[in-house]
This record gives sequence, structure tokens and C-alpha cells, in this order.
Amino acid sequence: MKIVMIALGLLVLAATPVRAAGPEHAERFHEELPILATLRVERLEHRRYDGANTVDWRLHGWIGDGTNKLWFDSEGHRTTDGDVEEAEVRLLYSRMVSEFWDVQAGVRHDLRPRPQTTYGVLGVRGTAPWFIETSAHAFVAEDGALSARLEAEHDLLITGSLVLQPSVEVNLSSRRVHEREIGRGVTDVELGLRLRYEFAREFAPYVGVVWERKLGQTADLARAHGEDAGNLSFVTGVRFWF
Amino acid sequence: MHPKSLLIATIALLMAGPGPAFAAGGHGHGQAHAHDTAAIGRPAAVSAARRTIRVEMHDNHFTPDTLRVKAGETIRFVVTNKGDFLHEFSLGTAAMHAEHQKTMAVMMEHGMLTPTGIDAERMKMDHSAMPGMDHGVGHDHANGVLVEPGKTADFAWTFDKTVDLEFACNVPGHYEAGMVGTVVIGR
Amino acid sequence: MHREPHTLSRRAALRLAAAAGLAGVVTAHAGRHAFAAADRALDLAVERTRITIDGETTRAIAIGGSIPAPTLRWREGEEVVVRVTNRLDEPTSIHWHGLLLEGVMDGAPGFNGFAPIMPGETYTYRFVLRQAGTYWYHSHSAGQEQEGMYGAIVIEPAGRDPVRADRDHVVLLSDHTAEAPAAVLRKLRISEGYYNNGRRTLVDFFRDAERDGFSATLRDRLAWGKMRMDATDLADVTGYRFLVNGKGVRDHWTGLFRPGERVRLRIINGSAMSIFDVRIPGLAMTVVAADGQDVMPVRVDEFRIGVGETYDVIVLAREDRAYTVFAEPIDRSGYARATLAPREGMAGEIPEQRPRTVLTMADMGMDHGGMDHGDMDHGGSDHAAMGHGAHGAHGGSAGHADPAPARAVGWADAATPPGAKALAYDDLQSLTRTADLREPAHVIDLRLTGMMSRYVWTLNGRAFDDGEPIRVAYGDRVRIRFINTTMMAHPMHLHGMFMELENGRTGRLPRKHVVLVPPGRTLSVLVTANEPGEWPLHCHLLYHMASGMMARFVVEPRAARL
Repeated sequence: MKIVMIALGLLVLAATPVRAAGPEHAERFHEELPILATLRVERLEHRRYDGANTVDWRLHGWIGDGTNKLWFDSEGHRTTDGDVEEAEVRLLYSRMVSEFWDVQAGVRHDLRPRPQTTYGVLGVRGTAPWFIETSAHAFVAEDGALSARLEAEHDLLITGSLVLQPSVEVNLSSRRVHEREIGRGVTDVELGLRLRYEFAREFAPYVGVVWERKLGQTADLARAHGEDAGNLSFVTGVRFWF
Repeated sequence: MHPKSLLIATIALLMAGPGPAFAAGGHGHGQAHAHDTAAIGRPAAVSAARRTIRVEMHDNHFTPDTLRVKAGETIRFVVTNKGDFLHEFSLGTAAMHAEHQKTMAVMMEHGMLTPTGIDAERMKMDHSAMPGMDHGVGHDHANGVLVEPGKTADFAWTFDKTVDLEFACNVPGHYEAGMVGTVVIGR
Repeated sequence: MHREPHTLSRRAALRLAAAAGLAGVVTAHAGRHAFAAADRALDLAVERTRITIDGETTRAIAIGGSIPAPTLRWREGEEVVVRVTNRLDEPTSIHWHGLLLEGVMDGAPGFNGFAPIMPGETYTYRFVLRQAGTYWYHSHSAGQEQEGMYGAIVIEPAGRDPVRADRDHVVLLSDHTAEAPAAVLRKLRISEGYYNNGRRTLVDFFRDAERDGFSATLRDRLAWGKMRMDATDLADVTGYRFLVNGKGVRDHWTGLFRPGERVRLRIINGSAMSIFDVRIPGLAMTVVAADGQDVMPVRVDEFRIGVGETYDVIVLAREDRAYTVFAEPIDRSGYARATLAPREGMAGEIPEQRPRTVLTMADMGMDHGGMDHGDMDHGGSDHAAMGHGAHGAHGGSAGHADPAPARAVGWADAATPPGAKALAYDDLQSLTRTADLREPAHVIDLRLTGMMSRYVWTLNGRAFDDGEPIRVAYGDRVRIRFINTTMMAHPMHLHGMFMELENGRTGRLPRKHVVLVPPGRTLSVLVTANEPGEWPLHCHLLYHMASGMMARFVVEPRAARL
């Protein structure tokens, strides 16, 4: 819990306006840039596996000015019969450090699987050269276990509205976590390829394929439980934002 | 007449030719020229004029902007440039001016004319290389003058027909900007 | 502080008077006449309205009951009084774009002691007209200008107009969107590329690969990708309808002429965000004024006009037919169209749209190592490049049959057909001599900066609220160098004083209130700081200004500068 407290403390501190007192209000250009807020559901999709199907989501939202943001992430999935198997939320302070990069710090809380777990988070998020949307976050669990997640995706415009998006996600762990069936090292990789049609920038249904592969010890654990280490799914979903 | 004005007037002769001659690559321009100016009257010796009309050039307009003459009358025009830029006083129909403007634009492009004056050297050197610019120097039917800033020039013209005449400056852009007036030819 | 006590007390007096119900009959302050003595007095209300363009009705804001606002026809030397009443539920302001006047009358909130006009309040502007020419007026608050708060100002000279015309038409270009300006800005800030519908696609890739070769095309795409820049980033906002005098393409505004007349068109770019290429197929245009100031006539077939700029042109329409005034934004996302015709109800032919250009590395400032060696007409030369036929003018080639090139490369390339003449900044030459021939006392470098992907626009890397004012001493002659480090063109506007564009026309530098600085280029201007006060110096692209691309240009009394 200590980590959570520290993280929250940092968040509050960081969110405090740091702008030096300017000239008195009447002398300023009176139109101040408003605080912005947005919510983006990047993925809300039905995954059809060989066996059971799932509904997966990934979304983020933020509120702030151009430089300082309060950032919210959530992702997870539930089976089609209603069990939420994984659900995580993150609350981060996100600060612009260059045109293309934000540094993020805060907390992550996993509601599922149980027992619930809380982590401290430190990471970066931004646009790498060649327009590769990238994020890299490190997580410290309450017991000190370290893990990390790298995500990257790229929009390839086939036409102005038809967009092919390859994506990759890699998870790592510093130690074996029994409750989560996670081994040490690279735990899993997820490759995705989604083709969306933007009816509007804000609304785009898509179809795609996702290949998940557990690796190393994690894969061994899965096999020990009689599960496949690799899974291919066909996805249909929608992406929208406000 | 001052020697300088004489030079200017001579150059005016060079340029007074209407455009079709130039556009046609120099063939038969002499006749076209003579024919065109003949349609609006004929040049005269300054001494033959009974009446003098003084016109001022400014940037970019004339004062006055209407001239009244009688058919058959010979007028001496004394034209003073009170502006900062080179101007022309040229008699012609709107169509003649439109053609003449093309020639003037070419001369400006080739540096024979500058916004403020006449480059006498280039006038001599360049025009042989330019199609349409090789008029002989002996034209005696000048229908206008080019006047540098601060200078005065004169010429005479006999108006023997009633036609729609304009006096205009065909230095590029000046005509469009309104440096043109009407010649009303009465009986 | 020099003028503040004066202006503030005046302002206070007006407020008091307004409170006492006396607004409009205030006579009071030293050195001023009673309103009754003004040569012109005018009441303008600012209010919400609805505007119908080509059948689509949207919300808008009108000044004086119409969009565009009424054309104000004044005479040089007159003293005018304009009472502006705010009937909105938000603060407003009116700025007299290009006019030389006392700071508080300039109408830019937060400058020179001018406070926004609050809802229900009436503010009385009063100034003597110290110039002639074509100008305009617009809101300087929030995005109100985008919503319809713009109108033309035509000031007749006190003496003879060096230009003579039989007809005089205002051609006010603007861009109109059904979206609220705040929503537009929000989208740009959340998702900068939101409005770019012309990004290069895989389809374009294969087309280009066929033309330029696969590896060259790939190299090009990788180079842009590496910088995380988009070669099609010509305009930030699309979805606009482009208007002439408030009319859309279908309703097209018509200006009448009698064949043979000399018609003066006062073309004003009152758009929020759109830079236009303007032409009138079949007619050559003779540019006789730029930004309200007389220039040596230049005959052209087309010109590019930045936001806030004005050009007066003369056309000689000899034929009994309709002509189309055609203005295409540089991203070619549509066009504005007006008709010049001998009678109502006619329509000119609509020409084919020109291709949209694609930016190059030169536009990114990647190949201008030698920029800083006093090459002041660099930007102008660059402009010249857009008229491939700059030397083929031949006294006007309007109606040329040459087709426009199928493709354009680089910001300055308007796809001008060979043989046609496009106006270049270098062509502009003031009709009057440069009055102040002193060498500049100092040079102010103003880097035009920004973070495109964040939609943050700044000057010298600082947003307006965080930036230091630029201070110059009253009477000084200074050089401002606009160094564009971004990939967009910025129409830079200085209030209160003209900028003399250093385009090589020494002794007759054109006087401008807006200079359009091409991407990756440097333009330099000279300013005589003879108007005391605190003047806005900003990019006239509305959403660039709103996101911080503005500075305070302070002309200080000499005594206070020790």
C-alpha cells in the first residue's frame, strides 16, 4: 500500500498548477485554452477462439491541458458467459516531455483475477519515428515484483478511411507469480492485425486477427494446466472516441 | 526641343508601333503600323500646330483626363512627367493600346525600359535581337512620347477623323490602373 | 507606463457613463470632440444569428445584422465613431485590421488597456482615419471571427486616388464551418490530424512508386515518417464551405459590370484558416494595392493570398459575358466562387481545380543553410517559384490555353500553368517612397515554432501566456525576421504599424500588415516604431493564435527605457 500512497502523492503534487503567475488577468489575452478531456475506446471486440469466445476491451481517457494530463487506462476481457477474467485500471499523471513523448506515473489496480493487486507504474507513451504509437510501462507490485509491458501499433492508410493496424504487445516479469500463472522473463506476446473503416474519425468498426503466445515458464505453466500456449482468434469490434 | 526630349521622342517612335507587328514576328509591320496610326490621324510638325495642350503625368494618372479637339485640328502636346516613374502619352484606340501594351511589357522584361526610365544602351543593343523591334529610325508619325520622371516632351498630331480615341500610358500596369483619358473629337 | 493612466481613465469614464445610461452621448474627455462632431457615427450590434449557405443553415454571429458585416465606406481624414453593442452572452471585441490608431481603439482584448466588451455593454470606438485603402474588421475574441464576425472597410483617399475605376466591388473571402470554433480547436488539440482527409495512402504510394520508382517513393515516405511529419499538412481544418461576400458556391455572389469597364476588386482574405490561390479565368488582374497600400501596378494571372491580407486588383472586362472569380484553398479541399457579370442571373464557367501540392524537405527548412546571410528576399524568391512563367508575362496572358500541371511539389507551387504569371512578393513595390531610410537599430529574430502533433503553436518556443514581450523604443527603426521553423505557412500580423517587407525593392518596400511566411523560410520586415503602446504580433490563423502563437510588441517611450 505504501507504493500506492507515494504514487497518489506524486500525482497530486504533479497535478498542481506549476505555471508562474502571469500578468494580471485583465492584461492577458482573455481567451485561455480550455481544459480538454477525451475518452477513447481503442478496442471493444469480440474474439472468436477455437474454444470459448471473449469480449476484450482497451480504452483510455485523459483530462488536462496540453502539457499536464490526468490519464486513465483500462483493459481486460470477459468470457461470453459473463465472467470477467481480467480487468485492470490505471490512473496516471502524464506529462509532456517532448513533442512526441509523455512520461507517465501512477497506479495500476487489477480487479481481476483475484486476489486484486495494486502496482506502482512508471512509463512513457508517445509516437516513435515512422508514426509508431508506442507505450512502455514498468509495474511494481506490492510485494516488490517487477513487470513490464511494451505496446506498439501503426496505422497504415490504405485509403483515407480504410486503415490497417498492425500491433504488438509484449509482457515481461521479473519473477514467477503463481497466482497469475506467470513465469519469469518474457511472459507473452500478442500480435494483432486489424482492418478498420472510419465512417468518421470518431467511429470505426473493424475486423482482424490476433495471435497470442505465452512464452517460457509462462507457457510451461499453461501447458501444465492443459491449456494451449498459443491462441489465434478472429476479432470483430469497434473503435470510438469522444 | 531639348536634346534629351529629342532622344525620348525618337525612342517613342521606336515603340509607337502597335503590337500585331511584334506578335507577327516582324513581317509587314511597317504597313500595319502606318495603317493603324493613319486611322486615328497623322503626325505633324510642332511648328504646324495652332494650339498647345499641356498634360501632366502623375503616378499613375493624367491631368486633365479628358481632352477636347476638333476634327482637322493640329495640336501640340506638351507633356510633363510629375511622377516618380516612367510614363507614356500615347494616342490610339483601346485596341491599339491593348496591342501596344504587349510590346511595352516585352521592353520592360528586356530591361530597355525600367520603371523609372529608358535604358538607351539596351535600346540600341537589344532591339536587333528582338523580333519586331527592328523598325527603322525614320518614322515620322509618332503618336506619342515616353517621358522620364521630371522631364517634359512634346509632339504634334493632326486629328482628321472622328474616332473613339484614348490617350494612355502603356507602361505595364498603368493603363489598367486608370492612366488613360478620353480624346473627344468635335466637329 | 506611458499611456495607461490616460486610457484607463477614459475607459473608466465610459463605463461610468454607460452605467448612468448616458452611453452614446458621452462628450467627456480632454482633447476630444463631442460625438456629434464626428464625421461619421455608426451603431453596430453583435448578435447571434443563423446563416444559410447553399441551403444549409447554421449558427453564426453577425456584426450589424449581416454576414459579412456591413462594408464600412469611409474617407481618409474623417473622424469616425462606432458604438458596438454586445448582445451575445460572451465577451466580444472588434479589431480594425490594418488601421493606424490609438492603442485602446485597436480592439484587441488584453492590449493597450482594451478590455473585452462584456455582454450587454456598449463600447464606443473613436478614431481619425489616417490612411486610405482596403482593410477589414473582425472579432478578436475566441473563435467569433470564424462564426461570421468580419466585414470590409473601404477608405477613400483624401486626395485623388491613384487608381481609377468605373466599378468597385469588395470580394471578401472566408471559410465557414457548421462546427463551433471551440469544438474545432478541441479536435485539433486532441487529434491534430483530425481534419486532414488528404493524407497519403497506400494507393498514393503505389501511384507515386509507378512514377518515381519504388525505392525513391519508399525513401520519401520513410523520411517523412522518421520526422513524424505529414507532407500533406497544408491546412489544419477541413469541412469548410468557402464564401465570397457570405455566399457559397451554389448561391454565388455576383458583381456587376458593363463591358469595357475598369473594375476594381478589393479582395480580402477574411478566413479563419484558409490561404487561397485566386484567379479569374479569361481576365488578367492588375494588382494596384496590397494590404490597403498602393503598389506599382503589376499584371498577374493569379495570386496567393494569406489569411488577413488584402489585394486590390483591376480587371478590364471587355466582353459581354460572365467571369468566375475562383479562389482555391491551398489544400484544394474546395473552392470559393464569385461571378462577375454584365447582368444578374449569369454564371461563369467553373474551372477545374488545381492539384494539391505535396510538401518537400525544403518546406521543412532542410536545405536552407545559407538563409541568414541577409538574403531577405528569400521567401519572395520562393514565392516567385510558384509562377513558373514569371518571365513569360507578355503583358498578361489571361485566357492562356496551357493546362495546369497535373501535380505540384512544394508549398509554393500553386500548379500555375506555364506562361501564366503568379504574383510574387518580390513584385510588390510601394507607389510611395519608403519614408524611413534609416538602418534598423536592431534586429528581432522571431522564430515561428510549434509542435504540430500537439497542436501547440508558439513564437520563439513560448506560448503567449509564457512569453516575454518584445520591447522596442519609440521612434526606433527595427528589423523583424520571421524565421519559420515549422512546416506550415504563417500569416504574421502586426497591429498598429505597417511592416515594410524587405523584398529587395529598396526605397519602395511594400507596406504590409500581414506577411505570409512560407514553411521553412525566413522573411524580414522593417518597422518604424512610431505608435506607442502594446501591440499584438501574431499568426493570423485563428487556431494558431488561439493556441498561443502571439507575442506582445511593446513600443516604449524612450525615457522609460533606461
